[in-house]
Amino acid sequence: MTTGPATRQIYWDIDLHWLIYIFMLLPLVLLGYGMWRRYRMWRQGGPDQRFGDWWERTKTVIWESGLQRRVLRDLFPGVTHAFIFWGMLALLGGTIVVGVQADAGLRIYHGWFYLAVSLILDVFGALSLLAVVVAAFRRYILRPARLDNRPDDAYFLAILFVTLLSGFVLEGLRIAARPDPWGAYNPVGVAFSLPFSGRPEATLELWYAVLWWAHMAMAFTFMAYLPFSKALHIFVAPVNQFFRRLGPAGALSKLNFEDETIETFGVSEVTQFSWKQLMDSDACTRCGRCQDNCPAHLSGKALSPKSLVQGVKAQMEWTFTHRGVASQDDTGPKLIGDRVPEEALWACTTCRACEESCPVFVEHVEKTVGMRRHLVMMESQFPPELQLTFKNLETNFNPWALGWAGRADWRKELAGAAEPFEVPLLSEHPNPEYLLWVGCSGSFDARNRKVTLALAKLLHRAGVDFAILGTEEKCCGDSARRLGNEYLYQTLAQENVEVLKGYGVQRIVTACPHCLNTLKNEYPQFGGEFEVVHHSQLLESLVATGRLKVAPITPKVTYHDSCFLGRYNRVYEEPRRLVLAASGARPVEMPRHGASAFCCGGGGGRVWMEESQGQRINVMRAKEAMGTGTSRVVTACPFCLTMLEDGVKLSGAATPAKVCDVAELLQEAVQ
Amino acid sequence: MLNIAVCVKQVPDTEARLSVAADKTRIEEQGISFILNPYDEHAVEEAIRLKEKQGGTVTVFCLGPARAEEAIRTALAMGADKAVHLADAAFGGGDEGTAAAALEKAIAGKSFDLVLAGRLAIDDASGQVGARLAEKLGWPHVTAVTRLAVEGREAVANREIDGGSQVVAVTLPAVITAQRGLNQPRYPKIPDIMKARRKEVAKVTPADLGLSGGEVGGAGAKGKVAGLAPAPGRSAGKVIAGEPADAARKVVGLLRDEAKVI
Ligand SMILES: Cc1cc2nc3c(=O)[nH]c(=O)nc-3n(C[C@H](O)[C@H](O)[C@H](O)COP(=O)(O)OP(=O)(O)OC[C@H]3O[C@@H](n4cnc5c(N)ncnc54)[C@H](O)[C@@H]3O)c2cc1C
Ligand code: SF4
Ligand code: SF4
Repeated sequence: MTTGPATRQIYWDIDLHWLIYIFMLLPLVLLGYGMWRRYRMWRQGGPDQRFGDWWERTKTVIWESGLQRRVLRDLFPGVTHAFIFWGMLALLGGTIVVGVQADAGLRIYHGWFYLAVSLILDVFGALSLLAVVVAAFRRYILRPARLDNRPDDAYFLAILFVTLLSGFVLEGLRIAARPDPWGAYNPVGVAFSLPFSGRPEATLELWYAVLWWAHMAMAFTFMAYLPFSKALHIFVAPVNQFFRRLGPAGALSKLNFEDETIETFGVSEVTQFSWKQLMDSDACTRCGRCQDNCPAHLSGKALSPKSLVQGVKAQMEWTFTHRGVASQDDTGPKLIGDRVPEEALWACTTCRACEESCPVFVEHVEKTVGMRRHLVMMESQFPPELQLTFKNLETNFNPWALGWAGRADWRKELAGAAEPFEVPLLSEHPNPEYLLWVGCSGSFDARNRKVTLALAKLLHRAGVDFAILGTEEKCCGDSARRLGNEYLYQTLAQENVEVLKGYGVQRIVTACPHCLNTLKNEYPQFGGEFEVVHHSQLLESLVATGRLKVAPITPKVTYHDSCFLGRYNRVYEEPRRLVLAASGARPVEMPRHGASAFCCGGGGGRVWMEESQGQRINVMRAKEAMGTGTSRVVTACPFCLTMLEDGVKLSGAATPAKVCDVAELLQEAVQ
Repeated sequence: MLNIAVCVKQVPDTEARLSVAADKTRIEEQGISFILNPYDEHAVEEAIRLKEKQGGTVTVFCLGPARAEEAIRTALAMGADKAVHLADAAFGGGDEGTAAAALEKAIAGKSFDLVLAGRLAIDDASGQVGARLAEKLGWPHVTAVTRLAVEGREAVANREIDGGSQVVAVTLPAVITAQRGLNQPRYPKIPDIMKARRKEVAKVTPADLGLSGGEVGGAGAKGKVAGLAPAPGRSAGKVIAGEPADAARKVVGLLRDEAKVI
């Protein structure tokens, strides 16, 4: 037995191992060429400002690639993937160490370092191998609906499997031929050596040599095949994560209508996407997480966010390979229609559940809205019921056919209150502590006017100095923008910003998360910088500071997260604290809540459209809410309130739950 | 090839909260939105569809104050080629007769094959201008049309009448007024809205039309609006609660005894 420092002979039994560096050239060239080709495909897209904040971006990659944060959220496939990834990463590291030791003349691979690396490689390699088997089992035996199988998926798993397995067999052969005194640090290798023990050394050496070259050939094949397969995500996923959108999650990009030379708006060809939007489609691994969280998909509509991204990818490739072909426009497949069905585009609620669940940070909503923009503004093609919505927004600045002069009429109902008080207009009472942005629903919709009244009473009771714009307020434009009518949106946005700036408004409170998102995250694009809070945030601070005294009264309730409050603006906690204050307990959570909450079906302008395909999203959600066994569903958004109240009615539940806004709940509990 | 003239009027929005102005002959214009008269929208749409099928031009004619240009631009964005705006203050305060007379001067002799107008302007609601214009031009006319087919020099128009429909054939040139249901007006595309901003809107005065000041507007009108009164406000509705059968009985009782309608 040797007594020297722990190590092993590298390239044992292999002559001319340096040839690998020559053989490696071809796969490296192919890899480089393949990546360059992808890069050029992305560059078909337009500009996109994704630079700066380098540390923030690096952190994303560390968390999301290195530590697999979002991948692991979905436990079974997450752990499987993480082991394959960490295993391959470890083995790549090991291979580099070996190369450095053998060919760069650095003697590092010995002693405790050798033992540690050996053990780590052994264990991680084995877990990786196991995970590949589990992944194949899941894909081909369990067959979850969200996976579609292409030959590429099988090749990828097969290459991983064969490469990993041959690595262990090699180790086994080596140990069988020359018993390893440090075998305890190569437990898997020792296990693999057992079938070979006792064979003549010459046979083992021959097998080893043949297999070693085969193993190398496999590794090189993988390298060359990588940019032409789904393995591409190994490189593109971290890059895509790096270039993710920072800042507000759901602020859509602004179109330029001032420049008269621009004559097309929205996206009907992939070249009208930005480079990042195109890179997104290469990062996508078809894992199906987005689809599994998509309310449109789950309710049986034509939309799958996964197929949408893959449709963009297919068209990106087609456009790239057919560049310069004159008749491209007439004969080739169309992005909208052939790759992405029109009805899929209209089914999206822009809820962002897809984006929030995507491990590689694909941005679906901007793509959907981009294509809607084309349909609405260039083709005038949209579900017919929307024409009325658009016209109403144009003439009366609200989505209903209700005269704009009635916008502040809800105040008349205050006169009948137990303790009547006046809500002043900003024109009568400039510079209040808060401007209460009432929004269209809060102003015109009978049910949501009650929420406005409750909120006004609470603010009044807490002594908050506030005023409203009255008829000077117009629809914030959220629906118009998400429906693709950017032109109408900008008209409304500019007029609102002008009025707000005219009054020098600084702080705004609103009960509508759509208004909140628009005013807070999108009006800065038009020079409107305001401090905007949701009523749940303001009310929570009023309760916390004792300006509102509350005695819990109601029984247990469940809370439905609004997409535009939660995923768009990360407000999850304040409404729950209000529920706690008002009902004495935190809400009973639905299975899907917080960042993975299920949409009410009303976002993205869906609230103005018919829902004829599949199940009704609001009914699905209402049933989920009632499944918590509570008799009250608390919302924090006017659309959610309307949708869920309808959902409860349509669900046919024997004991329908009551649906109310968090402000109404609080009002019941206020002393 | 069809050269089509479309008469459009700008009217207060259907949802606008109207009030009578101090002089009791006009409505207060402050604080209301104006739109392209909905029937005229159908007329514009039909004209554009005919042009798209058969070629030709669509010219919009509008008599109204400066603000009416917005309605003209809407028609241009939908696809009309050019517009003539009878905007001079002298045209103001007129009646159906002066409106039709001025429009006739603007339209006659310009080799139009067809004039399309709305059945009714939703504000003053007299439904006369189209017909009067046809009389002055000496052309045949069909009013309240729900379907229109133009072939060669013949136009075949369907009219809804009580319990059925009537098909009328006329020889061009003719005046046709549009009823709801004729078509679904389009929502303009943005590039068309932008193009519409650059399209020509000719402003004409009575003199340009060879009319004297006394023949147009208030001076030429044969009638005057003597007074305008708002409709009496509706009293609040009654909600009858209870079981459907009981509630129905109560409703019948109220209809018989209180409202005395059954
Ligand atoms: C300076 C100025 C101010 C005016 N102010 C007003 C005003 O305050 N209120 C008002 O109602 N009118 C005003 N007019 C327009 C004019 O007085 C009316 O057009 C006329 O009274 C028509 O009656 P009606 O609306 O009942 O038409 P109807 O006979 O009901 O209209 C039927 C159809 O005729 C056509 N038509 C009607 N009027 C016009 C028009 N003006 N231009 C082109 N096509 C038309 C349309 O196709 C319409 O659908 C103004 C005009 C001017 C120049
Ligand atoms: S935003 Fe929501 S509805 Fe739209 S694709 Fe994503 S998950 Fe589906
Ligand atoms: S878009 Fe993201 S979540 Fe959806 S399939 Fe692709 S990688 Fe998975």
